[in-house]
Amino acid sequence: MIDALQNSPINPAAAKLISGTGGAASTGQSGFADMLKQSIDQVSRLQQDASAAVEDLATGKNEDVTGVMTAVEKADLAFKTLLAIRAKLMDAYNEVKNMPL
Amino acid sequence: MFDVLDMGASGLAAQRLRMDTIAGNVLNIHTTRDAAGRASPYQRRFVVFSPGQGSDPARPGVQAQIKTDNSAPLKKYEPGHPDADASGNVLYPNIDLAVEYVNALEASRAYEANVTMMDVTKAMLNASLRLIA
Amino acid sequence: MAFDGKRVGMGIQGLMDQGTIPVLERVLQFTAARHRLLAENVVNVDTPNYRQRDLSIQAFQQSLAAQLERRRLDPHAALNPDAPQSELNDQLLYHDGNNRSMERLMSDQAKNALMHNMAVELLRKQFQQMELALKDRPV
Repeated sequence: MIDALQNSPINPAAAKLISGTGGAASTGQSGFADMLKQSIDQVSRLQQDASAAVEDLATGKNEDVTGVMTAVEKADLAFKTLLAIRAKLMDAYNEVKNMPL
Repeated sequence: MFDVLDMGASGLAAQRLRMDTIAGNVLNIHTTRDAAGRASPYQRRFVVFSPGQGSDPARPGVQAQIKTDNSAPLKKYEPGHPDADASGNVLYPNIDLAVEYVNALEASRAYEANVTMMDVTKAMLNASLRLIA
Repeated sequence: MAFDGKRVGMGIQGLMDQGTIPVLERVLQFTAARHRLLAENVVNVDTPNYRQRDLSIQAFQQSLAAQLERRRLDPHAALNPDAPQSELNDQLLYHDGNNRSMERLMSDQAKNALMHNMAVELLRKQFQQMELALKDRPV
């Protein structure tokens, strides 16, 4: 079933996420932590790309304004997604913490 | 950037003065008498631009000064005219309508350019304001 | 990730000095200065013997690139690109000694304003992102 989902063309981003958690289910805790670390690295890379693009625009090396704006927006959205994931994780942790036992 | 708006205002004032002078010339194109009623034709006026504002030539901006054109008046032979001299000639102001018209066009074009410049200045200031919005 | 003493020591001022914020600030300073010069040109469009002046974008961009290279090696180096004023020499000189060109003035002003607005928007985005990171409950 995981394979079928991975090959589904509907939403490759969602498919990747599911295959990631599928990997976590098989290898345990480390899969999830790795995915989180990967996400942080990707966000960091996108932000560095955006910074470099803005610098190139300011120094005249790159005249493509649309490209720079797209890169900046991508980095911004990636950052916001990461913050949303963090918020959800915090909510989940608090919910588990407050469960009466 | 607010001093740029002052600069623009000085430009507008100077071009407006030029326009007023041209209007005076056009209106007085046939004036053969002066204010006291003597047979002395109207002398053409023109403006001279110089950098500076008010009394300070170092301040960025422009100012206009009205000067009188001392060129000789036109002579026309009209013996029946009340202002004709002994030989029947009447002295008319040395004003050419075509020259005044072209000057008026240039003045209005420069005025418009000044207005556009002030609009751009305001747009840039508003954009900078959005940094704290 | 090794402990980087220099980064810890950067403090709050360092937070404002990193990334694209100082670059965008310098671009805004340049566009403001250039606008002032172009405005003076417009106001003096009929002044006799007035030579139109401009700030060269190329010179500014080259200076900025060189300063950024220097900053890559020394993150605490100041960022101060210079943009020298120059008289325009490639325009028709009129009989009154003025080398005006209304078309060039208007298009230069428009381009400069666009550059200014673009830099303002990018700077705003940076600040917004930092504010979002500081917020306690972002979602």
